[in-house]
This record gives sequence, C-alpha cells and structure tokens, in this order.
Amino acid sequence: MSAERYNRQIILKGFGEEAQQLLLRAKVLVIGAGGLGCPALQYLAAAGIGHIGIVDDDTISLSNLHRQILFTTADIGKLKVEVAAKRLQEMNTQIGIIRHPIRLQKNNILDILSRYDYILDGTDNFESRYLINDACALLNKPLIFAAVSGFEGQLAIFNTPDHLTPSTNYRDLFPIPPNKGEVANCAENGVLGVLPGILGTMAAAETIKLIAKIGQPLTNKILSYNLLTQEQYTINISHGGGYILPKTVDEFLNMDYQDTSEGPQGYIEIDASELVKLQQLESTILIDVRERHEVPILDKQIFTQVPMSEFGVFMSKEFYQKHVVLICQHGIRSVAAAEAMQEKYGDAKKIYSLKGGIVKWRDHFLKP
Amino acid sequence: MKIELISFGKISEFINNQNIEVDGIADTDAFKQYLENQFPPLKSMKYKLALNKNIVQENTEITNNSTIAIMPPFSGG
Repeated sequence: MSAERYNRQIILKGFGEEAQQLLLRAKVLVIGAGGLGCPALQYLAAAGIGHIGIVDDDTISLSNLHRQILFTTADIGKLKVEVAAKRLQEMNTQIGIIRHPIRLQKNNILDILSRYDYILDGTDNFESRYLINDACALLNKPLIFAAVSGFEGQLAIFNTPDHLTPSTNYRDLFPIPPNKGEVANCAENGVLGVLPGILGTMAAAETIKLIAKIGQPLTNKILSYNLLTQEQYTINISHGGGYILPKTVDEFLNMDYQDTSEGPQGYIEIDASELVKLQQLESTILIDVRERHEVPILDKQIFTQVPMSEFGVFMSKEFYQKHVVLICQHGIRSVAAAEAMQEKYGDAKKIYSLKGGIVKWRDHFLKP
Repeated sequence: MKIELISFGKISEFINNQNIEVDGIADTDAFKQYLENQFPPLKSMKYKLALNKNIVQENTEITNNSTIAIMPPFSGG
C-alpha cells in the first residue's frame, strides 16, 4: 500500500493507519452504476477500498450523463460496468475492481453477494431493492441503502445491529413493495443530477464509517434529505414484523420478486418487433399514456393519446379494438395502465405494454 | 392537542409541513384514520408514520406537542 496516496486521511485524527488497513481489506459490492453508484464508486475507490465489485447490466445512454459522472459522451452505448471499472482502475491502480455485467435475480444474487462484506444498493426500482434486502438479510450482510425521489433522498444502513437494537431491514419500514406505477422512478419523474450525487456520496461515507469503525453510522436509522431546503430528518427504525422474510435459501428461491421473466400478470410486455406486427392488425389500438407536454410527440393518426391523468375517463368509455398496446416513455407507466386495463377487461381484450418504452425503441418511433 | 406534521416525497405534494390542532385522537391508529380522511390520496399509497422520530410499528399513544412524520418509500437511483 502506498501510504502517500492515502496520507491526507491517514493523518486525520480518529482515522489513521489502522482504519486505512480496514478499508484495504474490505470487499464492497456496489449494485447499480447509475446516479447513486457512480459517485459512491468514485469515493470508495479513491479512499482505498481493497476490493470493489460493480453490478449493472445496462449500457450508457445520453440521458444518463447529467448524473452518472463516471461516463463521457464517447462512452454512449458501452457497458456501464466496463467503463466504470476502467475509470476507477486508472484512478486507483492499487485496488481490485470486479465487473459483474449482469442483472441480479433470485438465482444469481446469493452467489455474488456472498463474495462481499458490504453491499451498497444504488439501484432504481423496487423489485431490485426488495430482492437485495432479502438476500442481505438471509446472508447477514450489512446493506447501505440510498434512494432518491424528486428533490429528496433516503439513506439507511440495514442488517447491522447496534448497541440498542438488533439489526433491522427494509421490510421493517415498508413490509411489501408498492404496486407497479404507484411510485414513479427517476426515468418517469426526473431528477436533478446533483441529488443522487449527494446521496451516493453520503452512502460511500456511511460505508467507509462502517468499515473503519468511526463515528455513528446510520444503523437502524433512516435519514431523509431535502435538496431544496438542505434539511435532514432522521428516524429511528425498530423491528416491525408482520412481513415475510425468507429464512432459508429454499424460501428465498420461492419468493416472488416480480422478475420480469416470470409472474402471471395477464397483460404481455412486448418489444418493438411485436409492436410492428400488432400495428398491422385492424383490431389494434395503440395508446400513448404520456402527458401532453412530453416529447417526442408521436403521430396522432397512429397513436391515440390518453395521458395517465385522463386514463380513468378513457376507461369509463367502451371501444371496439381487441388488442390494446400501451406505450409510455420508459415502459413503467404503461405497465400501470396495462394492469388497470387487465383488471377491467380480463380476457375480453388482449393488453400489451411496450417494454422499455419509447426511449428504448427510439429508432422505431423516430424513423422517417 | 397540537401536532407538528412533517411529510416527505410525493406525500408532501398534498400534505404540507404544518402544525395542526386535533381533538379526540388518542393514538397513532386513530391518527392514521384521521390523515386518510383528510387526505384521501394517502389511502392508496404505501407510507410509514414516525412519532417523535421513532418509526410507528404498533398502535402508540400520542401526547400533546408530538411530531408525526409521514414517509413514503423511494426507489430512484
């Protein structure tokens, strides 16, 4: 270890050589190399965490760049883990960076998490967050949790007991996940790039505090942060009960995390090629559920515009088409709309949601 | 009875931080009912209450000048 690289933190009163050694021996897995993951990774790597794993199966797109600060314009289209790992390794040549270019699911998460000591959740959806929470609880791994919504963020440490409380987990706060579409994510809702920057950096700080055993990490607490007021509010978490937390690997594998590949939901998620086929049927209606101000504007001759805010009114009327294809920006609101339609029509109509939305199939929608 | 109400995220779009005066509400169960009557969108949302900075896990008595926070789950990243 080059002591000079870490000199400014080693000489810090209350940190020192011993804390630096703890960082160097630690294995941290950062899940999601996005708005939260990028800044967290940068500081964890710079601080000298010895082994850092990065999980993400996504590629870099232009709309990521305002908040995912490890990436440049030239990186668009490349795998996030590859670009992130390369940048971090250039920054700190003395640490090990492990790439996991996969999507965590029930059948692979336990294997990967078991190789690390600390897990940082920087994902962007509830399915992943509950999957990670339950896996961490099962494997008894400390979980550093960060999430954002609008101009606010949440930060907590789970699965780590303190002198007052045995360890708590995310289900002690929210026993079951919200329904799809009930809570919008960044892609639907928008986010100021600096907010996940702050929360991701705070998550890195909590990780470092836990490993180096300094200060009072947010164990059994959840901090709410408001960017617009710079106010913070910390709440103590206690054990809640009344929820199912898998206690064995078998129980875990039997849980329903709504992996997109499974689940009897009734409606069907389709890709652009299936959309083209459906488009040719006369009994198909294509519905754009985005609000009227959203761009790109689609051809109104082809796509019927029914914003989510007006969806209830639309649903109260009858229409003849049998195949209903719902489309939105990222394929999240269209799932909520599909669920509502499925509930009303059951088998009377075939309901489809375009997976990934207009952003994913941009070329299809914008072709001349 | 005076209660300071603090809300977060989407909930703060329809419940402002405010001091309220309520009578005949003795505990958090009753307060939850009161909130959902006053602010119907809450009924269809997942949220957790915190009484004086402690998460409410079971029905708890509310005393004068308490602070109650209403927190929804966030998933964005």
